[in-house]
Amino acid sequence: MNLNVDIGIKISNPFILASGILDENGYTMKRILENGAAAVVTKSIGTSERQGYNPPIIYENDPVFLNAVGLSNPGIDNFKDEVKIALESGRPVIGSIFGKDAPEFSELAKKMESYGVSAIELNLSCPHVNGYGMEVGSDPDLVYEIVSEVKSRVKIPVFSKLSPNTSNILEEAKAAEKSDALVLINTLKGMEIDIASKKPVLSNVYGGLSGKCIKPVGIRYVYEVKKETGKTVIGVGGIENVNDAIEYIMAGASAVQIGTAIYRHGIKIFNELNSGLIEYMDKNGISNINDMIGVAIA
Amino acid sequence: MNHSIVYSNVRINESTHSLRFFMESPVHPGQFIMIWAPGIGEIPISFSSVNNPVEITVKIYGEPSKYIANLMPGEKIFYRGPYGRPFTGVTGKKLIIGAGTGIAPLMPLVDNMTSAILSAKTKNDLIFTDRIKNLYVVTDDGTLGIKGFAVDALKQMDINEFDMIYVCGPEIMMKSVYDYLLNKTDRVEFSLERPMKCGIGICDSCSINGIQVCRDGPVFSIKDLKNMDEFGRTRLSFSGKRIYL
Repeated sequence: MNLNVDIGIKISNPFILASGILDENGYTMKRILENGAAAVVTKSIGTSERQGYNPPIIYENDPVFLNAVGLSNPGIDNFKDEVKIALESGRPVIGSIFGKDAPEFSELAKKMESYGVSAIELNLSCPHVNGYGMEVGSDPDLVYEIVSEVKSRVKIPVFSKLSPNTSNILEEAKAAEKSDALVLINTLKGMEIDIASKKPVLSNVYGGLSGKCIKPVGIRYVYEVKKETGKTVIGVGGIENVNDAIEYIMAGASAVQIGTAIYRHGIKIFNELNSGLIEYMDKNGISNINDMIGVAIA
Repeated sequence: MNHSIVYSNVRINESTHSLRFFMESPVHPGQFIMIWAPGIGEIPISFSSVNNPVEITVKIYGEPSKYIANLMPGEKIFYRGPYGRPFTGVTGKKLIIGAGTGIAPLMPLVDNMTSAILSAKTKNDLIFTDRIKNLYVVTDDGTLGIKGFAVDALKQMDINEFDMIYVCGPEIMMKSVYDYLLNKTDRVEFSLERPMKCGIGICDSCSINGIQVCRDGPVFSIKDLKNMDEFGRTRLSFSGKRIYL
């Protein structure tokens, strides 16, 4: 049975840890890689140390998960040792980066490459410095410029993580078409208010919605982008079990990322997904996972 | 977000308050709660009593703790939790070792079979001395009890007397206790404190050797800690920067 997939890098199964969950400390990434994840995506790293927002940075009212961590990170230079620790697992690490413009993204990508990561994931959902309140990803010209410049500066594959908070995902996907793969979707912008205190539940007021309630949105974007562009797609958003993962694969994802589900299932979810996938393929007479990618596309 | 009504608020020293309120979910010794100061912040606080009305003990060191310490009876207290793996209960003789406000989560373990080593920087920082009968006091400056650290008092005791030893305080203090007790007994549990943001095991702020203190801990046995070489050595700061202790 073949579970290997090619997303620009070859990985031993389709299950990857999503950026932003348990991927700040090298030892945690190492443990996840040693427990069934084919690869991990690091927390998004910027040029300098950032404290992020004050707690509450997360609100849980299962199945609703809202977070606004505020891109807290130690800065690229301080992150070198964490990547080194994670790489002791012998499995691939994908470096997630965020910046304000193409030169900043390129500088970060080059440093990540020098640390030994196998690929770069561009977090295009950070605030756009020139477009107030906008995300970098909602400016197609800027996305095009960032992807082109990063691609020309590093040898390793480059993935673009796209935001669903846009009126035209295909325009965004087209702007990022020089990427080796597109990662769909980032969190959906949302908020909740606690009626007893009459206050927003997150200190940043707005947050990103994740968890199983966003899965239909993720499936739709993966399907639409795969169908219209044919690009390699990595699916993410609300995957809780192997059936959700298979759904993403059938919609066109070559691999999937797992994040919020770790809240309910713990790190063991990666081993559970692997055995669940093997069981499914066995039962359905599928010997190669690549035969399942995009089969639902009409 | 859950909320309850503050039942009582007692100031127990210059900067520390104990608040009581009723909770619906059962709470076990060693668990903690995320208390929300709406519009200000959110912090983890452990329980100094787990029986209704439960009690939390908070030391003022920032805006959220100041808000919580000033909540008056009748006011709303917002929280999520309880969270975390509790202490293992035993029926026999117990020793609790607490430094500073680190004594608070150990208080639910106190009964007439419990001895305690209570350490603090100075006499005025000691709390709960009135709630424990068999008490050994240690202060850094010698203003009360033995002058020195918790481990110094421990070294004068026969540890075989106890069915379980429970430890909570700054990690450096716990590491010295760990080093002393290692290979002497396996019946020791530590409650770890690391920068905590989400409280539910997904943000990685409080992790130690890939284990989440908020979810898999905060209570770890001395055996657990043998496999965690980050203990007493390094942790991540609020931003995620590695700090050497």
